[in-house]
Amino acid sequence: MLIIDSPSESRAERAPVSGWRRAAVLLLVATIVPCAVLAEEAAKEPAASAFGADWESWHPGNSVADIASLQRGARDFLAYCNGCHALKYERYARLGQDLSIPPDLLQKDLVPSGRKASDYITTPMPPADAEAWFGKPPPDLSLIARSRGTDYLYQYLMTFYVDPTRPTGTNNLRLDATAMPAVLSSLEGLKRAVFKNVQTRGDSGVVTQRVFDHFEMLAPGQLNHDEYAGMVRDIVNFLDYVGEPQQAHRRALGVWVVLFLLVFTWLAWLLKKEYWKDVS
Amino acid sequence: MATVVKPPGAPAVKTGKLRAWFYKRFPIEEFISDQLVGYFAPKNFNFWYFFGVLSVVALALQLFTGIFLTMFYKPGEATSFDSVEYIMREVDWGWLIRYLHSTGASAFFVIVYLHMYRALLYGSYKTPRELLWVIGMLVYLTLMAEAFLGYVLPWGNMSYWAAQVIVNLFGTIPGIGPGLVEWIRGDYGIADATLNRFFALHVVAVPLGLLLLVLLHLVALRRTGSSNPDGIEIKERLGPDGKPLDGIPFHPYYTVKDTVGVGVFFVLLAIVVFFVPTLGGYFLEHANFEQADPFSTPPEITPSWYFTPYYAILRAVPNQRLGALLLLLAVLAYLFLPWLDRSPVKSMRYRGWLSRAFLALFTVSFLGLMYAGLNPPQGVYVMIGRICTVGYFLYFVLMPFYTNPRFDRVKPVPERLRYHAHH
Amino acid sequence: MTASGVIDADALADESRRHFLLAATVATGATGVALAAAPFIASWNPSERTRALGAPTEFNVAKLEPGALAQTLWRKQPIYIVRRTPEMIASLANHDSRLKDPQSRDSEQPAYAVNATRSRNPEYLVLIGTCTHLGCLPKPRFDLARAELGADWPGGFACPCHGSRFDLAGRVFDGSPASLNLRVPPYSFADAHKLVIGVDEQTGAA
Repeated sequence: MLIIDSPSESRAERAPVSGWRRAAVLLLVATIVPCAVLAEEAAKEPAASAFGADWESWHPGNSVADIASLQRGARDFLAYCNGCHALKYERYARLGQDLSIPPDLLQKDLVPSGRKASDYITTPMPPADAEAWFGKPPPDLSLIARSRGTDYLYQYLMTFYVDPTRPTGTNNLRLDATAMPAVLSSLEGLKRAVFKNVQTRGDSGVVTQRVFDHFEMLAPGQLNHDEYAGMVRDIVNFLDYVGEPQQAHRRALGVWVVLFLLVFTWLAWLLKKEYWKDVS
Repeated sequence: MATVVKPPGAPAVKTGKLRAWFYKRFPIEEFISDQLVGYFAPKNFNFWYFFGVLSVVALALQLFTGIFLTMFYKPGEATSFDSVEYIMREVDWGWLIRYLHSTGASAFFVIVYLHMYRALLYGSYKTPRELLWVIGMLVYLTLMAEAFLGYVLPWGNMSYWAAQVIVNLFGTIPGIGPGLVEWIRGDYGIADATLNRFFALHVVAVPLGLLLLVLLHLVALRRTGSSNPDGIEIKERLGPDGKPLDGIPFHPYYTVKDTVGVGVFFVLLAIVVFFVPTLGGYFLEHANFEQADPFSTPPEITPSWYFTPYYAILRAVPNQRLGALLLLLAVLAYLFLPWLDRSPVKSMRYRGWLSRAFLALFTVSFLGLMYAGLNPPQGVYVMIGRICTVGYFLYFVLMPFYTNPRFDRVKPVPERLRYHAHH
Repeated sequence: MTASGVIDADALADESRRHFLLAATVATGATGVALAAAPFIASWNPSERTRALGAPTEFNVAKLEPGALAQTLWRKQPIYIVRRTPEMIASLANHDSRLKDPQSRDSEQPAYAVNATRSRNPEYLVLIGTCTHLGCLPKPRFDLARAELGADWPGGFACPCHGSRFDLAGRVFDGSPASLNLRVPPYSFADAHKLVIGVDEQTGAA
């Protein structure tokens, strides 16, 4: 059941800053250029199958009790997200323990070389550089599931679309003008957002608004829609876990605590009835 | 050595040698016989009468969990937020201590509001309990200060902006306002200095004040005796032994009954702590899981749910100074109830429909204000906030009139308590 | 109780039922209090952060000269590492009669330190530098026959606080307020020069 299969970019290549500068620049170029090219092409092509009108009701449907999902999410997070985002409150060792990853596998595949399993999960991205490249440093994601919610995170990762007006070449429905590039586009593929004009009656007469209508795929990625959605669900699930690692234990313990307290209250109630026989 | 506590009127407790040694040197025996067994409480206490004891339980819970949190929490702009996550993740059982404290705070207010509502239902603030009520109101005000101070300590983004808004309210005071705000903050904005002094106040000063006020509250209660749902003074009808005919010894009858209440309280507390500790963002706000950021205001700054009624009143008028004044009046209005209420009758059971209607108006207004305050000041919420502000103040302002027996047709109050045996 | 004094069977049954319920409720309540206290008591245990920081300490002995003492830290405790010369090792014999615990029976050390030199390797002595009396740092006194220590001083440690003395294997001399030899921590050699304090066969890999 254990799925630890590092993608092509192994831990050993996480070396000094200069390597990262190159990687980040390449990443940006890799995202922008195809977007620009495809946007032009899309203007000429007929519309692909439409979807996504109901994006605001998309839920990840994740369960932190699903260890396999958490393992996949951990693997994918460390592969695709950790380059910019830290999880500064979580230790690799804790991850290994909670997700049933054996220590040697953890050390080999997930812990960067030269680091200890007891270290916190930091990011190699230097914050000063990040601010220069993206405008603001990519936030730490330890608590993002608690502050924004899993629905938000799922919808965020599922609604990137091509937008030539943005410096990253993409935009996002959940967070308009997001500074984050569509780093998963090689897996998801590229899609564009089709907007429509909607007229509404406002206080000062009729108002025309530009409203999202549907998505259209422009180019396929390595994964189909369901596979990609599953991957996003796993990553969101993992972030849900990182937000509060002990939550499964909390709920399990709670059952016993409540049962015990119910027994106590019942006994106290019998005692009360017994004593109150005296009172007329 | 066995000790048998017999019902009152029976001979005194049997004592062993060790007990006798203590009794000679410490007034334990007198305490038990005077304050517990010898304290007669009305026998018809209902649901509403649990909340006094539960308030003490909640206070003890907050003190105990709070002391333990202080062992691991590190106050300071750079360390507060991280130290809370340290408690949640790295201190053994730290998460449980934290959730008990955060849930306990909200639970405390649920209890205190129900406790105060009992007084409105049964006229528990009327003679001779005016001072008891005033001391209780001081407890309430101190509790609100304590909750506000405590909320700033995690140094989340809501902590920061709530502190910003509330401290700025003091700036509305004419003349001394702006200087006062800077003095409270100890800096030009909400900062490390503010956080550290709030820590000292929250952990030491205000709890000591709370304990003192609660003690005074209990002492005053001991003198007047407790009210009851029928609003009759049980001390006015004494039996041949000098004890109230409609009273029963607090111990063992109410110690035993209150144990059930405490049990139910802990069941509910445990359900929240273990299954829904954030309660959808009402007990632990989402925005507070992000660190304080002076450059980023949360989309909606709302205080904790127990403050939102007053927050809605503050926002009801478009003028900042007037809004602050109304908020102050709203919070202080309760103090005047014993003198605003002109009814000859204590309990709602025997009052006319006019008194009941206004209490209903107050209840609906208070809940409506709470609802409005939880939502952004837009659209329908503005309307609700304004209407409910009017309803809220009408309850107090018109009270001398609608409680006047000339307008409010009261029913005859029975001589003895209405009590149905609990079998 | 009926006024006539006749034993009321119902009243007696009530009384015993009352006692039973009271006992049951109190017992359950006391159990609950004990269970509730447990997490609070446990919260005082070293936290996850402390346990991580309490990880093994590494020390490179290559730079340590013969006859020299180096000091490092492990789990907040001072660790003494002495590279003993052949003379120092030889001095360990012949004074067992002056020691309180020459075979280290009562003292605290791992199994591999229960030998004449109290170490894995006679050349390197690894000790916890805390006097077993009341916790001060014993000072190294490796020179033989120091004036204040007496003509027959074989070399070792002397504690400045209350005068306890230990030999070059950390064994305590008679006449010292301390009764146990200086403690030896778990340690191992990762290679010829890398000493790892805190790791041995029992405590496992880092």
